[in-house]
Amino acid sequence: MITWIKIGIRNLYKNKRRSLFTIGAISLGFAAVNIFGGFTNYMYTNLKQSFIYGQGNGHLTVFKKGFSGEGKIDPLKYLIAEAEMKTIRGFCMKDSRVLMVTPQLRISGLLSNGEVSTIFIAGGRVPSEIRFINSQAKGLLSENKFFEGKQLEDNITYGVGLSKGLAKKLGLSLNSGAIAMSPTVEGLLNALDAQVFQLFDSPAETLDDKLMIVPLKFAQLLYDTSSVDRLTVLLDDDKHIESVKAFLEQGLKQKGLAVEIKQWRELSSFYKKTKDMFDTIFIFIFVIVFIIVVMSIINTISMAVMERTREVGTLRTLGVKRKRIIELFAIESGLLGIMGSIIGMLLTLAIWIGIQIWEPTWIPPHITIRVPLEVYLVPGYIILSFLCLVVLSVVAAAFPARKAAHMSIVDALGHV
Amino acid sequence: MTKTAVVCMEEVHKTYYLGETQIEALCGIDLTIEKGEFVAVWGPSGSGKSTLCNLIGMVDSPNSGNILFQGQEIILLSDEERTELRNKSIGFIFQTFNLMPVLSALENVMLPLQIRGVPSKIVREKAMNILDELGIVDYIAHRPHKLSGGQQRRVAIARALITEPALVIADEPTANLDSDNARKIIDLMRKINSLKGTIFLFSTHDQRLLDRVHRQIQLEDGVIVDDKLREKS
Repeated sequence: MITWIKIGIRNLYKNKRRSLFTIGAISLGFAAVNIFGGFTNYMYTNLKQSFIYGQGNGHLTVFKKGFSGEGKIDPLKYLIAEAEMKTIRGFCMKDSRVLMVTPQLRISGLLSNGEVSTIFIAGGRVPSEIRFINSQAKGLLSENKFFEGKQLEDNITYGVGLSKGLAKKLGLSLNSGAIAMSPTVEGLLNALDAQVFQLFDSPAETLDDKLMIVPLKFAQLLYDTSSVDRLTVLLDDDKHIESVKAFLEQGLKQKGLAVEIKQWRELSSFYKKTKDMFDTIFIFIFVIVFIIVVMSIINTISMAVMERTREVGTLRTLGVKRKRIIELFAIESGLLGIMGSIIGMLLTLAIWIGIQIWEPTWIPPHITIRVPLEVYLVPGYIILSFLCLVVLSVVAAAFPARKAAHMSIVDALGHV
Repeated sequence: MTKTAVVCMEEVHKTYYLGETQIEALCGIDLTIEKGEFVAVWGPSGSGKSTLCNLIGMVDSPNSGNILFQGQEIILLSDEERTELRNKSIGFIFQTFNLMPVLSALENVMLPLQIRGVPSKIVREKAMNILDELGIVDYIAHRPHKLSGGQQRRVAIARALITEPALVIADEPTANLDSDNARKIIDLMRKINSLKGTIFLFSTHDQRLLDRVHRQIQLEDGVIVDDKLREKS
């Protein structure tokens, strides 16, 4: 085997230019796939962080059983009463993996500036507890403030946040007064005064002209209820999601509570759609790049086989079997794959370092501030790319090498 | 087939096809080569010399007839078995030497035994000994393009002999050599032939070589027209 590897390395060196071009193609393909994979990984991580921490949705959400079915049409029938909420909260907090359990109530109604009114939908949350969830984020989410104005407060029930589109629609600005109107859970009309404490960008463009955030007490007062429609659960690590979910489902069932627990992924359609889209694009890029690499290798090995036909004939005459001839070219091709992948890894690392030094920024969708554009180094992608490229390199050599191995020895020796 | 016959050919035919044209390269060859023979096959271009050597060397197969090598019927062997037998029992010296350009002289000589899987230490020692006998031990690290024609020829001979084959097939071994060097090469091969009993089978036009062989086989249009022994000198 060592002799064949030696012959392989020397033949690659003998045709330096051709080998370099092929190695270059492999390394560029490797780097392209891994840089794009690293970028998508950065996107996924930040979208996930945004949903779980930035928007205060936590890792798990506990609903009344049936909320995600019939509850979509009539959510008020699936409220969690105060006593139940305390039981659920108390049980969840017994698990050391649970950092926070916070109740929420989604409300809707009309918001008026005194002259005109428009529809609003709002998340009623406990501001201090949401701030705690925000603080558990890593990176820019914990470093940046994504609103203008001041924080909402637990005990200042009238201080609310408006999406910028809604504020613009009603001609409201920071510290403006407004009136929120809505039927209570009993069906009676209710209204509350509100003051604009903050303005924010809506996470979805379609909601930009109707979204509000209000303290939970504001929402409960408007709806005249002490109930909530969900409990948001924040964990210490997302690797505990499945096990904690199973633990809570079993434990709450044993307590006679009819609940359904959803993971964050099930509730974030934007994350799922974005991930699916980028995953599809990644697969396309992966396949296209690797086809180009394989074709480059087939071309290189085909040329090598053609140039060394007489050499193949001589080796066969000396006693080299057909499969060993295929092995010889497969080793050369595999060496190209290994060298190309190693250089590809170094190139990926160089690009990553370059990005770290350059610190480019961009404005992602649904955000108005500039944020760092990053690329992550994903060991799984790097290893997978390496293995795929080496295997494909070896397989790519099989076609031309097989032809050489099965050529008539007399014809091969007489090849000019 | 006699007890000392290494090669035995019986009614061997070989036909080639060039497009739709059929060429009878060998027509009913009967031939026996005994151990220790120093034989030349000669004749005009297209007489079938190369085809005969290819068939004996098992790099080609007859269309009909039988070929026995060391008592084994070659046509019954698989490609792998023939390949192994070639490596073990036949050495080849090509007219253009066909040395591996990326291997040194020493590595080229080592190659046939390495193909067999013999440990490198043993192979290296054997190769050094042969190269020393052939007088080119000073050039063991040189690649073929750095060797003269004569040096390459000696490396090719060394490679053919390292496996201690029963038969060496040499295609025009004295081509492009001056008389002095041709004589030296022939003397060398005769020495090995007489010391080890290795059969040397030449395909040649060179009268200098024809004058030094023990047996001359003349081919014409695929048929043996003359097969005579010469006095050993």
